[in-house]
Amino acid sequence: MAEVRLENVTKSFGTLTVIPDLSLTVPDKSFTVLVGPSGCGKSTLLRLIAGLERPSSGRVRIGEEDVTGKEPSKRGISMVFQSYALYPHMSVARNIDFGLRISGTPHEERERRLAEAARILALEDYLDRKPAELSGGQRQRVAIGRSIVRNPKVFLFDEPLSNLDAALRTQMRIELAELHQSIDSTMIYVTHDQVEAMTLADQIVVMNKGRIEQIGSPMDLYDTPASVFVAGFIGSPKMNLLPGRAVGQPQAQTVGIRPEDVRVSEGEGWDATARVVETLGSDTIAHLRLAEVDDLTVRLPGHMRLKEGDRLKVSLDPDRQHRFDAEGRRMATAPA
Amino acid sequence: MTDTTMPPPEDRPAWGERFRRVATNGRLTAVLILLPPALILFTLFVILPLGESGWYAFYDWNGYGTPEDFVGLRNFEQMAGHSVFATAVGNTVKIIVVSLLVQMPLALFLALLVYRKTPTNAAFRLIFFVPYIMAEVAAGLIWSFVFDGNYGVTASIATTLGIERFFVLADRDLAFYAVMTVIVWKYFGFHMMIYIAALQGVPEDHIEAARIEGASRPQIVRHVQIPHIRPAIAVSAFFAIIGALQVFDLIIPLTNGGPSNQTQTIVTYLYEFGLTRLRIGFGSAVGVVLFVAAVLVAVFYQRIFMRKGTP
Ligand SMILES: Nc1ncnc2c1ncn2[C@@H]1O[C@H](COP(=O)(O)OP(=O)(O)OP(=O)(O)O)[C@@H](O)[C@H]1O
Ligand SMILES: [Mg+2]
Repeated sequence: MAEVRLENVTKSFGTLTVIPDLSLTVPDKSFTVLVGPSGCGKSTLLRLIAGLERPSSGRVRIGEEDVTGKEPSKRGISMVFQSYALYPHMSVARNIDFGLRISGTPHEERERRLAEAARILALEDYLDRKPAELSGGQRQRVAIGRSIVRNPKVFLFDEPLSNLDAALRTQMRIELAELHQSIDSTMIYVTHDQVEAMTLADQIVVMNKGRIEQIGSPMDLYDTPASVFVAGFIGSPKMNLLPGRAVGQPQAQTVGIRPEDVRVSEGEGWDATARVVETLGSDTIAHLRLAEVDDLTVRLPGHMRLKEGDRLKVSLDPDRQHRFDAEGRRMATAPA
Repeated sequence: MTDTTMPPPEDRPAWGERFRRVATNGRLTAVLILLPPALILFTLFVILPLGESGWYAFYDWNGYGTPEDFVGLRNFEQMAGHSVFATAVGNTVKIIVVSLLVQMPLALFLALLVYRKTPTNAAFRLIFFVPYIMAEVAAGLIWSFVFDGNYGVTASIATTLGIERFFVLADRDLAFYAVMTVIVWKYFGFHMMIYIAALQGVPEDHIEAARIEGASRPQIVRHVQIPHIRPAIAVSAFFAIIGALQVFDLIIPLTNGGPSNQTQTIVTYLYEFGLTRLRIGFGSAVGVVLFVAAVLVAVFYQRIFMRKGTP
């Protein structure tokens, strides 16, 4: 019903080409997360879908409809901004039903939708307050409420949780997941946060310099990154990316191994020295130095006590290695 | 910083001790060095003249020697009974009304057109601002040529339309409208600049959020931008009123208060009937009235706009 399709979209600001040529399908009712380094064009892409920017070429479709030349308000979308963009002079209720008032929605209808949104977001007690009198999380909910009352086909979020502290972020993340389940709309979500991307997404789109590096489910991207870029971008701590030569696989330019896929033993393997040890409680992250490799990050169980300067033997799980060619593309499955 | 070293209240240090502390932390030195120049200049050029004219206002005095002829409230009574003074006050009120209801909306409208930072807008901003930079007397002279019924632009208009020549500035009914037109033209740029600065501070995503909600351009102006720049509008209204109370140097080259005193303002009245006729006492009385009016405006402004802190 409300699939979003971008067809050969390009976007330039003057001489700066931000999006060279991008095609993307966001399935109906999916929760699609856009990730990528700062400045790679995530916000621009979202704004193209919203209609706040016009593509330099290409088409944007929402549902069956070509909306390329349409006003944002005619696209059936809503957007939650990173800054929330709440009107400081209006109460929470006025902020939420602003659009309905503007469009002349009848009183009863408006009240009904306002009450519904307030209920979903637990804002009933705050409707008469001004945004300045709310906490960060409450403001965030008001911004989402403003989206909900419009009954959009597509929700757009641009880093909506980045101004919240860690605990609140976790809570809002769960609320967003619930919201998606309960209202069954297509959601497109930009974030910098690994955890948000992994937990919320049905589909993650990894972008780099205005291009799509890979699209897939969170576990697809985690288990089979299509390129060195995705391998390094998805996962925390980062995947180790080692020169193939250094680990005895000269046919591969780069060999990637996730920190949890490095085996540590007393017996055989390469000699390693612990450089830095980060004890997180549940895990211990150790940064090791090998003869050929300066930094190998290893995730160990929390109960393993290790301290700086300790010597140990490491080997790489042969089934869990990712091999990339000189262009950084993934190579066929590893030989035995 | 000093709070943490402060002893508990029951054994407050003696005055000498406190003085030493203030003196040694450099604040007293700063006050002693920096305050007197400002205070002396303010006293010399603001307080003293004000006090003096307050004093002259009760004398019949021509400006030479010391005022000796004490007349009590007679200057004020004369002023109150003078029909030209009534006209002058009425005109000043009209200028205030036009400033608030014509000039400010015009300035806001233009500001909304050119506030975004583009080269074309910068050019227009400059053009709109030129009247404000121009000296009042020069502007008055230029417009007196424009309105000249024999040679000016109005003459060309009359010729083109084939109607009888008209002399706007000599017309008892039209002259003041012409003056108000010139005032609007002269000062709208100032208000426009205030609005432009304020509009540039409105977060872009507030406007975009409203666009997504389906707000039209006028609705965005009304519901998003104007509420945001309300403090700037208050400031501009304040300047508009204070400025209207002081209109003088535009009028002198335009009409010099005429025809038959129809375009006097409070200040031209003061000048005409106080200074040029060497009735300094009377002029001072007018000045006192003007000063009181300005203070009232300032007090009201404080009351209305400053009390409820803007978010
Ligand atoms: N209006 C604009 N005019 C000119 N350049 C722009 C404009 N908007 C964005 N850009 C440029 O486009 C590029 C992509 O910007 P965009 O905001 O989409 O990045 P992003 O991926 O959202 O980054 P971040 O994660 O930091 O928010 C940047 O180099 C930015 O400077
Ligand atoms: Mg962004």
